[in-house]
Amino acid sequence: MIQKLKSIYKLFNLMNYDHLGYIYHGNFTDEITENILKLTEANLQNEENVGKIKKRIYSIMVEGLQNITRHQTKENNIVDDKFYYGIFVIQKIDDVYFITTGNPIKKSQIPPLKELLDKINSLSNDELKKYYKKILVEGEMSDKGGAGLGLVDMARKSKNKLYYKFHEIDDEHSFFYLHTVPVLKEETINEEKINNTINGIIVIHKLLNENNFILVFNGEFSKENSVNLLSAIKGHITTSASLKNKLFYVIVEMLQNIEKHGTKTVDNNANPGIFLIGEDSEHFYVMTGNFISKEESQQMKKRLEVVNSYTRDELEREYSEILFDFNVDDVRKTGLGFIDIRLKTDNKVEYWFENYNDNLEFLLLGAKIHKGNE
Amino acid sequence: MDAIEIQATELTPYIKLDKENGKFIIAQKSLPENAIEFYKPILEWLEEYSEDPNPETIVEFKMEYYNTSTAKQFARIFLLLEKMHLKKKSNVEIHWYYTADDLDMYHSGKRYEKLLKLPFKFFEV
Repeated sequence: MIQKLKSIYKLFNLMNYDHLGYIYHGNFTDEITENILKLTEANLQNEENVGKIKKRIYSIMVEGLQNITRHQTKENNIVDDKFYYGIFVIQKIDDVYFITTGNPIKKSQIPPLKELLDKINSLSNDELKKYYKKILVEGEMSDKGGAGLGLVDMARKSKNKLYYKFHEIDDEHSFFYLHTVPVLKEETINEEKINNTINGIIVIHKLLNENNFILVFNGEFSKENSVNLLSAIKGHITTSASLKNKLFYVIVEMLQNIEKHGTKTVDNNANPGIFLIGEDSEHFYVMTGNFISKEESQQMKKRLEVVNSYTRDELEREYSEILFDFNVDDVRKTGLGFIDIRLKTDNKVEYWFENYNDNLEFLLLGAKIHKGNE
Repeated sequence: MDAIEIQATELTPYIKLDKENGKFIIAQKSLPENAIEFYKPILEWLEEYSEDPNPETIVEFKMEYYNTSTAKQFARIFLLLEKMHLKKKSNVEIHWYYTADDLDMYHSGKRYEKLLKLPFKFFEV
């Protein structure tokens, strides 16, 4: 767990460096697609200067997400008994949006895919329009259902080339990364910058795969974002209702902890915190990271040590005591959330502090929920 | 005494406090980061109600989720109801609802029951 927490700090820095807001890494279903769309739409609404391009971003996302769902099969995704998940990323650098999907495919699929992408990239806007109609009329659909059409549509909506990259997994499999950069007019885009952003995502994807992280949100932890995140998470997690409930309680407490404390940023461009969910065969992991003043972190360390040392009975007693102690009405000051997490998960709240500078530390917290827990 | 009815949002519960019809309900989700503000008018209403309550007060808790911030405000509500009950101003009963797949909700109700001198009834829905 500590190892996971340490890698989150690395991930946070990589994401901030690449201005990544939201990553979903996991199993893709229609329900998940719907939730990702909802979450991003809400975030786009808060943005200025997105009006003209918003609808196009939205439809590029729809096509990209459906592309992943369509190509998600045992043959494609399972490599050496490990299930390789697809990834969806949206990032914004200097007012330009980058929408990236990545999914494992068989190497044998690369040549026809490359041919199609190169063809699309060689066509002008008018030619693309004609080509789109031609596919529609002639029904040149793949047996997976209009994959070619989706790509043409993405190229048309982005008014730009479709950037792509294949990254080898093993002798038979590669990741296919599709990087769509919608522009207002046919502007010249810095190809080197695009190359860097794809490579950044490949590094991040590797980190997510190694740590089994399935959902990452890096951004502002406002009330509104929390609400959207919560509803998105509900769709993301496919598990029994009772486990889902337990997970939800823990997520709420962890999110509110970061909402309360994660307000400090190092500079105006960096995000104040990161929220992640991880999953392996036995556990779910709910993890957060945020900047915290050294003074606060000292208190929190002490509090966490105490709460982690309690037995179950002591936790119950402490919980009840705090519940009816109205001298401190603000629960965030009491550590009630940590006690609640410990009671609900039957595990310790793991933590790790990374030193940032003379005044700030980066606090990483992790809760582990056993899947067999009833 | 005017009734209160508040519709639920993603973060706050449905609330009905109706003396005339004898309906007292808190339902759905309560996840405000700071619950104090949200529950202030509720506590004020109950305070006023406790001065001249109905002979019987059944308060229904039909919660889907609530956070620890809310848990403390629930404790305040219960203490107020307990006082009313022990002073024999009104026969108070708490009806605590939970679903079979959410035993944490059941245990949360049980915890309050253990800490209070108030009759609780549990209903699985």
